[in-house]
Amino acid sequence: MRIIEIVISPIIAFVIGMFLLGLSRKIMARIHWRYGPPLIQPVIDIVKLFNQTSMSHGNIFNLGVILSLAGSMVVVLFLPIGKLHPLSGSGGLLVILYIMLFGPLGIALSGGEAANPNTSIGISRKLILTLGYELPLILILLAVMTYYRTISIVEIVGAQQEARWSMLSFPLVVPGIAYLLILPAILGERPFELVKAPQEISSGTMVEYGGKYLALATIEHAFSLFVGTALFVNLFLGGSSNPGFFIIKVIVVFIVEVLINAVFPRFRVDQAIKYLWRWPTLVALAGLILVFIIER
Amino acid sequence: MDRNKLVKWLKEPAKMGHKYSLHAVYFCTGCGIIEVPPSITARWDAERFGVIPVATPRQANLFLITGYVSVKTLKAIIRTYEQMPEPKFSVGFGSCPVNGGMYWDSYNTIKHLDKYIPVDGWIAGCMPRPEAIFVAVTHLWTLIDKEMANGYKRYREKYKYYRANQEQLFGKLEWPPLFPVGDKHEELAEKRS
Repeated sequence: MRIIEIVISPIIAFVIGMFLLGLSRKIMARIHWRYGPPLIQPVIDIVKLFNQTSMSHGNIFNLGVILSLAGSMVVVLFLPIGKLHPLSGSGGLLVILYIMLFGPLGIALSGGEAANPNTSIGISRKLILTLGYELPLILILLAVMTYYRTISIVEIVGAQQEARWSMLSFPLVVPGIAYLLILPAILGERPFELVKAPQEISSGTMVEYGGKYLALATIEHAFSLFVGTALFVNLFLGGSSNPGFFIIKVIVVFIVEVLINAVFPRFRVDQAIKYLWRWPTLVALAGLILVFIIER
Repeated sequence: MDRNKLVKWLKEPAKMGHKYSLHAVYFCTGCGIIEVPPSITARWDAERFGVIPVATPRQANLFLITGYVSVKTLKAIIRTYEQMPEPKFSVGFGSCPVNGGMYWDSYNTIKHLDKYIPVDGWIAGCMPRPEAIFVAVTHLWTLIDKEMANGYKRYREKYKYYRANQEQLFGKLEWPPLFPVGDKHEELAEKRS
């Protein structure tokens, strides 16, 4: 039974991730007053990319992409999707916190082999941005874990279904707001799109990827979109007992995210770090202190 | 447009993928690039046909050469074309890449682009309207359907010819040949000079 769950949950995450990619392109187009591509355009792109010749730059270049994709896929196994949570018995939030780093690190490892100056700039930006959002993320997770006195994400979801969503209960709404503030950075969307800024650094870390490598990197992006929003839904919007409702919640959170993406320009690197380490960190710290006082 | 026909997708997914996902790298050599922003933004919206601009040749499979080609930019065009993954389609935009256009007697402008890289289609006009890009895209779909958009195959088969032409223009090239060049290469170069 568990093996079936292990197979099914990445497939669900993949389908939803590709759907989110298509949805974001369509919504962006409608906001620009364009007709926009069809919803399956990312799938068409993937089909095309797998049928192209591709250029490798060495073994680490190949392995890094796979490492990053595998890292993002494994996180899905620890996240409860409705009642599907194949591996969440072991480690819970701490494991998620560690494995979420695999995506950026794999891309950094792989891009380093390509030895393109634009890639180097992209890698340094990606690692700096990761450093930027990890600090508030750890504070947020600490607040949630302190409040519910557990590190298991399944128990957190269960506790919310018995009582209320964390987003609607008093002390936890503060870290919830902090998570919403760093969500664009986790997803790599527009105010924090500096990692793959096509106009500045020719799509940054992606500059040497073509063909199959770009397809794998796109799939990794789809997974990371799903993971970022699903973590928020599980921690603050009460998860769900039913995969259908869970997916609807994920899509709603993502649409809010796309609207932010559509209207904001891009931060510079120093502005992004200044923002991430000031406002979300302060709010998350305030939330942690509030939780600590109230729990006493 | 047969983008929604599932049977065709199941029969030949590769061809359909190449048709409906054209990622373009625009080479801004001349005035032709001014027609590209309206065609990819709200007025004409190329994205609904799957045509989007990308920032690097590694991700692209459509190469639009917009405007006249000077000898210096031809070098960059060749390198960009060789970096694109196959299958790749190149389209000359405007009169100037076709036969020099208004620069027909310029000492520093390439008159026949297809002597140096294979070109799958031309958009004539000075300037062509953005609609012409969409007409070109639909023509390119037809060509891909009939497997006539085979410029990349021509480049591979007749690489000696193209390389000889390039070397005739530039003297010695700084990069090694993309495909193996046999002994006949030198004979061809001699024959042409």
